[in-house]
Amino acid sequence: MKYLLMIYGNQEKWSTFAAEDWPREIAKQDAYNKKYAATGELLGAYGLADAAAAKLVTRKDGVPVLSDGPYLETKEYMASFYLVDVESEERAYELAAEMPWADQNPTEVWPILHESATDA
Amino acid sequence: MAEPVTDGHRRPVEDLLRELAPQVLGTLTSRYGHFDACEDATQEALLKAARHWPEDGIPQSPRGWLLTVASRVLIDEFRSDSSRRRREDVVFAATPQSELVGRPADSIADPDGVAADRDDSLKLLFLCCHPSLSVPSQIALTLRAVGGLTTAQIAAAFLVPEATMAQRISRAKATIGSGAIRFEMPAGEADERVRAVQHVLYLIFNEGYTASSGEDLTAPSLSDEAIRLTRLLLRLLPEDSETAGLLALMLLTDARRPARTLPDGMLVPLAEQDRTRWTSASIAEGVALISQTLPRGAVGPYQLQAAIAAVHDEAPTMDDTDWPQILGLYDLLEKAAPNPMTTLNRAVAVAMVHGPQAGLELIAALESDGRMARSHRLLATRAHLRELAGDGNGAASDYRQAARRTASVPERRYLTGRAAALDRRNRGPAGDGSAPV
Repeated sequence: MKYLLMIYGNQEKWSTFAAEDWPREIAKQDAYNKKYAATGELLGAYGLADAAAAKLVTRKDGVPVLSDGPYLETKEYMASFYLVDVESEERAYELAAEMPWADQNPTEVWPILHESATDA
Repeated sequence: MAEPVTDGHRRPVEDLLRELAPQVLGTLTSRYGHFDACEDATQEALLKAARHWPEDGIPQSPRGWLLTVASRVLIDEFRSDSSRRRREDVVFAATPQSELVGRPADSIADPDGVAADRDDSLKLLFLCCHPSLSVPSQIALTLRAVGGLTTAQIAAAFLVPEATMAQRISRAKATIGSGAIRFEMPAGEADERVRAVQHVLYLIFNEGYTASSGEDLTAPSLSDEAIRLTRLLLRLLPEDSETAGLLALMLLTDARRPARTLPDGMLVPLAEQDRTRWTSASIAEGVALISQTLPRGAVGPYQLQAAIAAVHDEAPTMDDTDWPQILGLYDLLEKAAPNPMTTLNRAVAVAMVHGPQAGLELIAALESDGRMARSHRLLATRAHLRELAGDGNGAASDYRQAARRTASVPERRYLTGRAAALDRRNRGPAGDGSAPV
């Protein structure tokens, strides 16, 4: 079963971490990623760029239109996401609870819709 | 010597290779240990055969050919590993080449060889479904080591990247290679281990049966593969009635596959399936198998589920279904293997025999079960029974709740469609002359 684990945050939140702590925090996350890539459960871990780099794309009269945004001044935005393939819902929760920052920052766990029916 | 093989024979070559894969791996592992290295060597031999046989023809002793090639790969592997060189060379030197290649599995003249193969294949299944491996690992390893599928094929079937599947398989092999798990017949816990193998095959079947991804010509279908491996298990354990029950259940369920989805992937419930599209040969085989097996005694959950499937499959229309018999079988199943899903299915049978209200009362009792409280299955079943009871609004609301809770795309589409249809009906008949808004 596949789940998307999402971590939200904003610049204000990241700024509360001291600059010298970052390498250690990143190392913890790397260790976590390696551990679950090795079990075959982590399909991918991705960190997103700053919201300032995000663009909105629409189509107007068949032509793509690019604009800046979304503008998320105070609201938290998605900072990183993890695609996992695990044995059970409980296992997905376990992995989320083991996130290095789980005691400061919640992880959203979303089941991913699959293209098969569950009943026989 | 060798028979030429035309392009149309590629499939038979592949089938033959997959048939021989567990025999070759079982023989190698039983002789030399080192499951991990033997597994790699077997895969390499299979790949070589897949490349050469379609052009050069199938050798007279395909199994001997594979064993020879795999042994050579293994020897090269061991020789390159200098720390093990002396020990392994002694083992190989002590094994006459003639013994290595001269014992084809299909040789009737050598019943001992057949028995040894039988044991090796069983040991291999037990090894792959060992309780110290996670269930996804058991499934992946069984498909590769016993089923002879490539890592790429298994990854494609489970929609995960090939690297992920490779990682899962190599970890499973490392767990086995760590020495805690032995290539042997489990003493004392054989029954339990057979159940584990059956469970893995059942899960492989379900994964294949429920996948809606149409005919994929590049990867063998998982349900076909599960049926093939269950046939193998039944050949290895002809007296095990639950294995026979499992095979019958798979055949009787798989028979409905052509009618179960529409070309656009939409689900068709049992009641609305075009039964003329069911595969009659599978039904005949499944019914014969379960009819022979049930009277032998030791009736277990797979046999009971197969019997229920047989009653459904033998009814020419939904209205002809022998519901009292199905209810009787569910009563037995609930006693043999109590589980909320069984209770839920039994509630449907109760509703068909004693009316929807009786079924709804059973479901009300289930709602207090923590495992089921949020289940979309409970909601979907309650919706169905409410619909039968004439409670259109309650049914529509349940269908909608169920649709929100399922993670399956086709199921969600189906449930949403039911809710929408009920909404239209609840609003009253359409086409009453007023202009559409």
